[in-house]
Amino acid sequence: MTHEDYKEMLALDALDALDGGDAQQQSALAAHLAGCAECRAEMETLRDAAASLVYAAAPPREAPAPELRARILTAIKSHPQDARPATSNGGAATAAAQTSNVSSSSEFEKRREAREVRVGRRLLVFGSLAASLAIAALLVTLALAWQRNARLQGEFARLSETVNRTQQELARTRADRELLAAPEALTATLSGTKVAERARARLTFDAQTGRAMLMAADLPPAPPGKAYQLWFIAEGKPPMPGSVFQPDARGHAEMHEIIPPEGRTAAVFAVTLEPAAGVSAPTGEIYLKSSAS
Amino acid sequence: MAEAAPQTSPDTELLHAIARGDESALAALYDRYNSILLGLLLRILHSRVEAEDVLQEVFLQIWQRAANFDETRGRAFTWMVTLARSRAIDRLRSLQSRQRADDTALRDAPDSGVGDAVEDVYHGEQREIVRAALAEIPEEQRRALLLAYFEGLTQAEIAERLGQPLGTVKTRMRSGMSKLRDLLGGKMGRGAGLNF
Repeated sequence: MTHEDYKEMLALDALDALDGGDAQQQSALAAHLAGCAECRAEMETLRDAAASLVYAAAPPREAPAPELRARILTAIKSHPQDARPATSNGGAATAAAQTSNVSSSSEFEKRREAREVRVGRRLLVFGSLAASLAIAALLVTLALAWQRNARLQGEFARLSETVNRTQQELARTRADRELLAAPEALTATLSGTKVAERARARLTFDAQTGRAMLMAADLPPAPPGKAYQLWFIAEGKPPMPGSVFQPDARGHAEMHEIIPPEGRTAAVFAVTLEPAAGVSAPTGEIYLKSSAS
Repeated sequence: MAEAAPQTSPDTELLHAIARGDESALAALYDRYNSILLGLLLRILHSRVEAEDVLQEVFLQIWQRAANFDETRGRAFTWMVTLARSRAIDRLRSLQSRQRADDTALRDAPDSGVGDAVEDVYHGEQREIVRAALAEIPEEQRRALLLAYFEGLTQAEIAERLGQPLGTVKTRMRSGMSKLRDLLGGKMGRGAGLNF
């Protein structure tokens, strides 16, 4: 097929309307796109045009159920993200490979020095034997270096994974600290109700971004299948659902939340005991409640 | 570096932040697009229950795949909408095959009413631009585009549905798409920064 033939397919492909049966044609198009900047640029504008058709659908009569937002923000905590196809990883891997080469060659140096002493002493009598021994030793050293390299690379992959995780945790901790220390952060104090008199909690949040952190203490353990759920209660409106959480064995809980825009002006925050998946309207007993501000 | 740096849209920045594991960026993207995407999913699936379920899937996938988004290969908006549409079309096909199997009704409470009340100014403007552009495209071209986009039909299926020769349908779709692209020009996404 010619460039013109492929070009004619672009509009249909942008609409995902090429006949699916013809896989060969589709992969030929993909190959052409990979090598043809003109078609790629054309395809990009056609894909943008196709995506704008989203506005040809009528907006929904009602916004999505508010608990959907809370459900998504809870669910992402247990969904790992794809690794970034970052170049830094590849670069670091090369660096590590280089490091292992460096260390194995210095080891090789030491061994060679030792061998030279031995070889020197026996050279007159066992010259040829020593030379073949030296070659054998060299081969063994190389094999060891090879193995070591492979092992180091595996170790490196594990370490860089740990570093990635640690960096993410650090970023999160930093964000928490910033939130807690920000002068514009708002704080609500929640006290235990009669079902949990000793329980208490503090909710700190940024009214701009909705980023919030709830720290609770002395909450009774949630029975199996149950969890605590946070609520935002604005005057004259039904309570808006927040995320669910579990206290640890000592009754402590630390929960990150992103309060929806309508919840940021809530007058009262409360925590109830609910089914572990969370509910859209409170059904269980109130354990913690802020006093109306 | 005195030359103008390529401008990153707020959506691009949000996707980059999401790729770094920033949950509030996902929340912000959700707040910005949940309604517009739900409209798309409802139009494709004709079921509130299915549409909300797919909407959740879509945002989970955005969370998981944000690192794969490459702004040099397309706009963030296009990436997100394309992902949402293809999830919805997948769901539509699996519902249709299930429906063929047990012949139960696919559609529950159809939410086809127009609810401009929940639409903000920015999306309202974008919608007007697209409506105006579509209004200038000949009816038979527009019809073919919308059948492909919202019903997930291929060129051959559209030809069959409209009772037209395949060649005619292909030509209409090609002209319709290039007209739509030219009419939209660079108008989409403008003013996107105003809300942030």
